[in-house]
Amino acid sequence: METTVQNAKELWNGGDSPFKVSYGKIMIWYFLISDTFTFAGLLISYGAVRTSQPSHKEGDLTSWPDPNEVFSAGPGFHHAPLVFVTFMTFTLIVSSVTMVRAVQEGHYMNKAGVAKWLVWTIIGGLIFVLSQAWEWTHLIHEGMNLKSNPFGASSFGALFFLITGFHGLHVSVGVLMNTWALISTQRGVFHRRGHYEMIEKLGLYWHFVDLVWVYVFLAFYLL
Amino acid sequence: MSTLSPDAARQRVWKVCRILGYVTIFEVAAALIYFYFFKEDVPKLLVSSLFIILSALKAYFIMSEFMHLKYELKAMTLTILTPFLFLVWGVIAFLWEGEYWLSLKELWR
Repeated sequence: METTVQNAKELWNGGDSPFKVSYGKIMIWYFLISDTFTFAGLLISYGAVRTSQPSHKEGDLTSWPDPNEVFSAGPGFHHAPLVFVTFMTFTLIVSSVTMVRAVQEGHYMNKAGVAKWLVWTIIGGLIFVLSQAWEWTHLIHEGMNLKSNPFGASSFGALFFLITGFHGLHVSVGVLMNTWALISTQRGVFHRRGHYEMIEKLGLYWHFVDLVWVYVFLAFYLL
Repeated sequence: MSTLSPDAARQRVWKVCRILGYVTIFEVAAALIYFYFFKEDVPKLLVSSLFIILSALKAYFIMSEFMHLKYELKAMTLTILTPFLFLVWGVIAFLWEGEYWLSLKELWR
């Protein structure tokens, strides 16, 4: 008993890492917690505004729109509800997997492997952002913007552009940081450092973006 | 750190990917089947609850496997997860508030 108390004291006395993770990793986790609360604030506002509008009624433009009617087009096709967004969701999931593979190759100090999987992750992120750009353009052409929405309640448009825009900004930043990580990997920066922890930290951020998309997808496209 | 061999770790990641893919396909299929066939007969609350449960399942897989939370120390996991309890309160409180706004709108129409 005495010894465990003694050990516990030493563990929390500084100069040690009680959670057995590095400073950088725990700090990216704390950043992600705060970012979760930012996104939760946006999505909870969405929920409050949505419940304050009458639920969907055919032809009633003050009621909440039906996502199956709003999101029914993709590049080159119409009247196929949710197909394009399903593709976008898959892209993000797969890019999360390629990121995990980059992190794993980093553990084995395999520089070429890290670079290869980072390239796939960047491609996935770019496809997602470009798909979102296409969807935004399409919806703006249909007449949806921050002030008006031809499918129903106007606050739907405002919340859609605000929340998917904030998420898209996160994806874009992730793509930029992954590109920087790819250049650093190629120049051997992490190899000389002796570990690829930076890829792990970027990976945590990238999976967080995927996690947020699960809830954006739920709020706007499914419910 | 997980103690899995490189091959096992690799296979595990793709397995989680497949699970996330299947759940997403199932969600979209359920949404479309509801939209085309059961819009009038089945209460929306039922499918909505299904979507919320399945999204929580996806979140669990992303956090535990991709973000590696399952393999961290328990104290670390709790430090990260407990703040999210506030969000449960937030969701309930603000959806409640939204319905109240709706009732006020109808009252003063």
